[in-house]
Amino acid sequence: MSIKLAPPVTEPATTPVAIRPASLTSPTAVTPEPADPAEVVFALQDFSCYYGSFRAVREINLEIERNRITAIIGPSGCGKSTLLRSFNRMNDLIPTARVDGRILYHGVDLYADGVDPVEVRRRIGMVFQKPNPFPKSIYDNVAFGPRVAGFRGDLAALVEESLRRAALWDEVKDKLKSPGTSLSGGQQQRLCIARAIAVEPDVILMDEPCSALDPIATLRIEELMKELREKYTIVIVTHNMQQAARASDTTVFLTMGEDRAGYLVESAPTEQLFTRPTNELTEQYITGRFG
Amino acid sequence: MSDQDPVTTQQPDPDPEIEVASATDVGETEGGGVDTRATLDRELRAVKDDVLRLGALVEVALERAGRAVYERDPDLADTVRWDDAEVNDLQRRVSNGISVVLATQQPMARDLRELLALYHAAAELERMGDYAVNIAKLAQQLASEPEIPLFSQIPIMERLCRSQLRSAMRALVDVSESDARAVCANDDELDRLYDAVYRGAMDLMQADPSRVPQATHQIFIAHHLERLGDRVTNIGEDVVYLATGQIEDLN
Repeated sequence: MSIKLAPPVTEPATTPVAIRPASLTSPTAVTPEPADPAEVVFALQDFSCYYGSFRAVREINLEIERNRITAIIGPSGCGKSTLLRSFNRMNDLIPTARVDGRILYHGVDLYADGVDPVEVRRRIGMVFQKPNPFPKSIYDNVAFGPRVAGFRGDLAALVEESLRRAALWDEVKDKLKSPGTSLSGGQQQRLCIARAIAVEPDVILMDEPCSALDPIATLRIEELMKELREKYTIVIVTHNMQQAARASDTTVFLTMGEDRAGYLVESAPTEQLFTRPTNELTEQYITGRFG
Repeated sequence: MSDQDPVTTQQPDPDPEIEVASATDVGETEGGGVDTRATLDRELRAVKDDVLRLGALVEVALERAGRAVYERDPDLADTVRWDDAEVNDLQRRVSNGISVVLATQQPMARDLRELLALYHAAAELERMGDYAVNIAKLAQQLASEPEIPLFSQIPIMERLCRSQLRSAMRALVDVSESDARAVCANDDELDRLYDAVYRGAMDLMQADPSRVPQATHQIFIAHHLERLGDRVTNIGEDVVYLATGQIEDLN
């Protein structure tokens, strides 16, 4: 499966994409300049997400900054993954899902009419919990997205570059024709990251990307994230608090209310949240007193 | 989707960081491109650099305090007193930095011992800075009193303290157990010199009660230097702990 293979959209291909034009070219045009660290990529305004009548996340107000790693933590069932999947409209694929409030992506409402979810998912890629390479060669796994998108440049160079950025090139350059599934779990996950990078996204969402990996492979992914942060904005959901502490710049703590809806308790610079949280619930959660 | 945008025309630009990282990880069969310790190593280095800087500040403070005594220079003594704020700020920064590394990086084994040793060393250095301030205050006292000869052991103690401090900091950088033990062993000399000042001052006070204030102040100076030396040996013990995992009393 691939986010790029989302169900065909009913709008004609020429549907104007509501996302501001500047962001379309930002991965190339803006790279040489130092990124403004305070630039907001996502702004959530009273954002809620429902599955049928059940409200999974409730009235979230939050800003995600560019070129940062933002970790979302919280107890099981608090809506972390739901929230993450809202960032690239993956929840659209669930028939009963609907949203309330807004998510602004570079100032544009992601859920506004006329926004093409396929284009949204190209710009905002996702890496999943379980490494899920296509049953294809390593090369084709990375080349797949660009091909579908009608890429007409030097595909081999793009594949190499993506694999290099994912810190996988040296390990696979001599066996690009081998199946992606022949790699180890950690390598497969980096292959999935290379695949996400190949379509030049702006944001990479990661949903528990290390929960199937051993500790060393986990550290590799975490250090890789820090390299990728130079170029992309990363949002990661993790039930591993220590991972959030190690690998993120900002930590967002969600918990579940009496209505079982997830809500935001605290969002703070990671080193602050883990040394002197301001909310008592955060303190209790990170010290293992509940959750 | 719109026609492919300029993204796709991008030239591959080899990421130098990734290249460098792979060079440090030779021999790995998997994940050779990622240095799994990069963040922890960087943060440890930053903490260690700050502790070394703290050691350098204290050494300067001690040298100036000594000179303020020898040259009867109350202004120089004032600079020691003022600059101690810098020592305190830096020590707080080290404590903060270490608590962040502990909270975020979950250091284990040697990394954990190193941070604990650095934390303690920084606290000892801060205290040594206070001794330098005390000596500077005594220099101002002495300068306001009729001059009497300085006990010859005091400049020797002051120089020895500085060289001991330097050796301890070097042992900390190199994690050298043997150098650390040598530092601790040298402390006996400071104790011996202090005893000599103490006995000399007692004799002087008995012989000439008019010199009691100056002699007392010199005893205090020697006492602070002796205490400062004890703090240096504590850092030596930290280094031994860091190197071996064993806590020993070497003083």
